Amino acid sequence: MDDITIRIAGANGDGIESAARILAKAIGKNGFHVFGFRSYQSIIRGGSVWFQVRASNKKLYSIGNRIDILVSIDIDGIRNNTEMLDENSVVIYDSKLGNLDKMLNELTKGKRLKSFGIPILDNAIKVGGSIYRNTYIIGLIGKIMGLSPDSIHSTIKEVFAKKPDVIPNNINAADAGYTAESDLRFKIEVNERKGDKYLLTGNDAIAIGAAAAGCKFYAAYPMTPASTILEWFAAHENHGVMYKQPEDEITAINMTIGAASAGVRAMCGTSGGGFSLMVEALGLAGMLEVPIVIIESQRGGPSTGLPTKTEQGDLLFVTHASQGDFPRVVIAPRNIEECFYEMSNAFNIAERYQCPVIVLIDMFLSEHIETINVDPSSIKIDRGLLVDKPKNDFKRYEITESGISPRSIPGTKGLAFVAPSDEHDEYGNLASDVAAGTPEGIEIRKRMHAKRMRKLDTMLKDGAIKMPLVINENADIFMVTFGSATNSCIEAVEILKGKGISAGVISFSYMFPMHTEKVKSLLSGKRLVDVECNYSAQLSKLIKMYAGIEIKDAILKYDGEQITSREISENMYKIINQK
Amino acid sequence: MFAIQDYRSGIKPVFCPGCGDYGVLSAITKAFADLQLDPDNTVVVSGIGCSSSMPHDFKCYGIHGIHGRALPIAEGVKLANSELNVVVVGGDGDGYGIGLQHLIHAARRNINITYIIMDNEIYGLTTGQASPTSSFGQKTKSTPFGVIEKPINPMSLLIASGASYVARGFSGEPMHLAELIKNGIKHKGFSVIDVESPCVSFNKLNTFEWARRVVYKIEGHDPKDLSKAMEKAFEFELNPAKLSIGLLYESDRKTYEELEVELKGNKVLAKQDMLGADDILSFLDEYNV
Repeated sequence: MDDITIRIAGANGDGIESAARILAKAIGKNGFHVFGFRSYQSIIRGGSVWFQVRASNKKLYSIGNRIDILVSIDIDGIRNNTEMLDENSVVIYDSKLGNLDKMLNELTKGKRLKSFGIPILDNAIKVGGSIYRNTYIIGLIGKIMGLSPDSIHSTIKEVFAKKPDVIPNNINAADAGYTAESDLRFKIEVNERKGDKYLLTGNDAIAIGAAAAGCKFYAAYPMTPASTILEWFAAHENHGVMYKQPEDEITAINMTIGAASAGVRAMCGTSGGGFSLMVEALGLAGMLEVPIVIIESQRGGPSTGLPTKTEQGDLLFVTHASQGDFPRVVIAPRNIEECFYEMSNAFNIAERYQCPVIVLIDMFLSEHIETINVDPSSIKIDRGLLVDKPKNDFKRYEITESGISPRSIPGTKGLAFVAPSDEHDEYGNLASDVAAGTPEGIEIRKRMHAKRMRKLDTMLKDGAIKMPLVINENADIFMVTFGSATNSCIEAVEILKGKGISAGVISFSYMFPMHTEKVKSLLSGKRLVDVECNYSAQLSKLIKMYAGIEIKDAILKYDGEQITSREISENMYKIINQK
Repeated sequence: MFAIQDYRSGIKPVFCPGCGDYGVLSAITKAFADLQLDPDNTVVVSGIGCSSSMPHDFKCYGIHGIHGRALPIAEGVKLANSELNVVVVGGDGDGYGIGLQHLIHAARRNINITYIIMDNEIYGLTTGQASPTSSFGQKTKSTPFGVIEKPINPMSLLIASGASYVARGFSGEPMHLAELIKNGIKHKGFSVIDVESPCVSFNKLNTFEWARRVVYKIEGHDPKDLSKAMEKAFEFELNPAKLSIGLLYESDRKTYEELEVELKGNKVLAKQDMLGADDILSFLDEYNV
């Protein structure tokens, strides 16, 4: 077989997440591509959680549409996780829960799948305690998948390197699982794919990608699902980066503006609620022409919404937030590799065009894990028009054809200026007080405002703003999507092909500004279906607003779960057959 | 050698004739000159309000930010380059109203910044609404029946929050004020100078005449004595006829930047090279499959 999907279920606090990560790493060591995601709740202990790991010898785009093996250590883990089970699935549960065949039969409406009770807890206690249940399960799955015992042992040794005293018991637990009596076999052959180097979440890739882009300052107030970015920066503060936990998100962005004004590549990060607090200062960065990068990891809204669930509902908000007009760029990476590489593009654009850049991700992209390869040596840094030679008549806000003016950093001799949030002249002197309404004041307002806004045209002309990715350009019908929903659309292309439908994907990652004419001609004359994770088809609206193309059909998901290729392909099939 | 004029932009200040902020502008300029601060190495940061236009009056680097957010911007500048002199100017609305949370947290951090708050007990630029320091009962455009909130007591708030240099000055005493500012800038840590700076256009209560009547210079006070400092901080609240000016409280504790270097080795971010591909590869190694 080509791929296998395993879901481990239990309660918050059972250590499901760390177990799944160990399993993912061990699978990765055997050369497979791994894609994983967890579902958890906004509580610390109890509840019902799962972690799903999918492994394949080909590149994966999702956690899959079905489960091969469900392992649960409690009853809720069975009860809440039968939806993706089918006739070929296997359920493994702790035999202390009794015989669950009848319950499973009812829950799956008679799908007659295989199920086994195994004394997971008892075997763990034999090794050293209930805490070793997870490692026992890893051993058991390792055996079923045919992973090498060595790969499991070395993973345990690496993961627990800082706690060497727990290594022997964990190895014993894994071995006990590996030698459990079971004739189940779900073995995938290693063929075309050669192993990836790293196991990363999107947030890991954002943080390391930012550091690779020269970002030295990160300010963020804790907020799910962006918090693991701050944890990375905090953990590496003695390695050339600074993290500051501020009193609120207003402080986070204003500190970032201060640090960027002082010449350091600086970034802040949050989710939609925190971004709401940052909105006024977003406009400040636009007005002062200070290069900053903001990470916005979306979760289910509005208000507190679904803190641990995914959505793409902030697209129109981030593309239009704050009063007045000013240039900004919104980049929505589609996958973990792009999370890493787009960070350097984000900082280069911010400094080249002296404007705020928002990197729009979401809970699914922030938190799912994947084995990937990235190459930091390919990253280029472009700091834009920084000047350091003293000049008598220094015009920080010089009106230029490109809209880009020379920028100096405090501490540089002879280039002092005041950066004002008020409208100003080329030197930074106010055009808002005594000059306002005078013929000179009116003239400078017009020219300065147009200068700032021209930067949008310049970046479009320069090629800094990427066009959408097109897959299957000769297809009969296209899914139009953006950001993290892209992967499921790519997977749906294959499913639809199996049904005789030639489908393609047009996926945006540079959301704003838009190449109006080019996007219009790309989309014109094609049969289009909008696919995104929000209620109101925000991408469709954005395309209609800027490219003038109306997309009538839409597949929208807003229940907090990532959209799957099965949902997309089934709905595509319906849409095609309606007419 | 920098002269007074080396610090001034030559732009005509926008204050009303007779405004208290002229005295503060002269006092800050004198303090800069006395300390011989390099204007190119000095950043004056402000928010919004009459007094917040002051960065434009200097020939230093400046950031004229948004209402209430001068401190976070200034902290960002200082964290990125601790070698810069960072001075924040603004009014009571900026400091004690919309931006109050930043004041408390900057004080906790003891970041090496000097904050000069020109307190006129009124919102002047918006033409005369009550401010957080307006007197109880004071009638303003927004309180035609009188203020029914107790005014903020900036001195006690700042001492309690951990500011390590807490002083009050009066714009009618610019030489005395210049000394307080000078010592505040010299002080290592978060220094705040609250300045009684009357608004001649919109505050008919806290006028120059009133201030001259109630203001007196502190003498024989030990600013290192916390309980005595708190006593001084509450004096005006208990006796509105006595507004002390001078240094109320001073303490020696490590600055935020010193601890950054001590604990994490983070020196001057703005002067460090960006991380190279080898550093990034070593970060990635933690995630090896």
